[in-house]
Amino acid sequence: MKIYTGTGDRGITSLFSGERVPKDNTRVDAYGDIDELNSVLGALTANLSDEEALIEELQQIQSTLLQLSAWLATRPDSALLESLEEIADEQITLLEDAIDRLQKGLPALKGFILPTGHITASWAHVARTVCRRSERKVVPLLNNVPEGKAVAQYRKSLVYLNRLSDYLFVLARHCNHINGFSDKLWKK
Amino acid sequence: MKTRAQTYTVKLLKRKWLSKKTFEILLNLPPAFAFKPGQRISLSLEGQERDYSIVSAPKESELTLCIRKVTGGELSPLLSVTDIGTSLLLSGPYGYFTYKISHRPAVFVATGTGIAPFCSMARSGISGFTILHGVRSPVDLYYASQLQQSARKYIPCLSDAKKTTGNAFQGKVTEYLEQHLTPGAYDFYLCGRSEMIRDVTRLIDERSPGSLVYTELFY
Repeated sequence: MKIYTGTGDRGITSLFSGERVPKDNTRVDAYGDIDELNSVLGALTANLSDEEALIEELQQIQSTLLQLSAWLATRPDSALLESLEEIADEQITLLEDAIDRLQKGLPALKGFILPTGHITASWAHVARTVCRRSERKVVPLLNNVPEGKAVAQYRKSLVYLNRLSDYLFVLARHCNHINGFSDKLWKK
Repeated sequence: MKTRAQTYTVKLLKRKWLSKKTFEILLNLPPAFAFKPGQRISLSLEGQERDYSIVSAPKESELTLCIRKVTGGELSPLLSVTDIGTSLLLSGPYGYFTYKISHRPAVFVATGTGIAPFCSMARSGISGFTILHGVRSPVDLYYASQLQQSARKYIPCLSDAKKTTGNAFQGKVTEYLEQHLTPGAYDFYLCGRSEMIRDVTRLIDERSPGSLVYTELFY
């Protein structure tokens, strides 16, 4: 039996809330980028060998990104909003705590750095840039949408993605640091 | 998602054949198990696991599943012969194929045992929908009388032209929709084989803009 349906073969897809929309729809574009971010985090995780706590932390973030995607894939007027789990403030606090924890073990930053170094640091930088793009793609979803549960969650998603970008920057430096790579400073 | 699936041990209470290849099984309902009409569970026996949509309503004291015995299948042949009283592992509930209140008319489309989630909805008090059930022959229209009571319109669609019955439509569900669906926006709920989901969705894209489409793939 086939597990594929082919309902998207003509460039149209279904949102979680049931609407049929073109695949270049802003909402699809937004959760598509989050999917890309999630996959890059997977590539980063696959390159972390003996960092079990860090791998667990990243997998928790991957799960949160799926949770966030579900909100983006659901129109604000859908009855399905009730079936979605809200993003909790604690999920953002966890990121902030992780940033503080990683930051403590790092040398002071002396200027702009080049996104390079160890393979894991490089993946973290790629993740950071995809995260920033995802953030930019969520912004238009706030346009012309009445205040309510969905908008509150879009706003929280923006906070989460902004914090996640900061986390990934610090994580990149951490990955370089623990692997013996120094920050490569921008030389003008 | 708010669904929190758990695993339970349940007992096979009864088996009832609905047609030559399709049967119902009744399981005891674990006290803590809660589900919404339209959701599915995962059932496992002797290391074989498979998802099935629930036929019964949450208010019922037993859990009913409708199963097609698939030749060469992993679990359905086992379930078709296993002793009454056998313990099985059940996990769930899963899925979001649940009825949503809407100002648009609801059109349910099922093929074969894909009728299960719609039975659960009807048995839970949901009514006023149009429902199409696509099967090969009349013996496979197992839940006709139950669905007729709740539906605004119940349309059996028989794909085998040699086997006819009463007022059934001769042809596939897609053909019925092509020929008879009034233009407009609907909430479509599609459950069954991938070919049906593909063909009906394409038809909706072409003819019913503004409609919502919810799907549950049976494979």
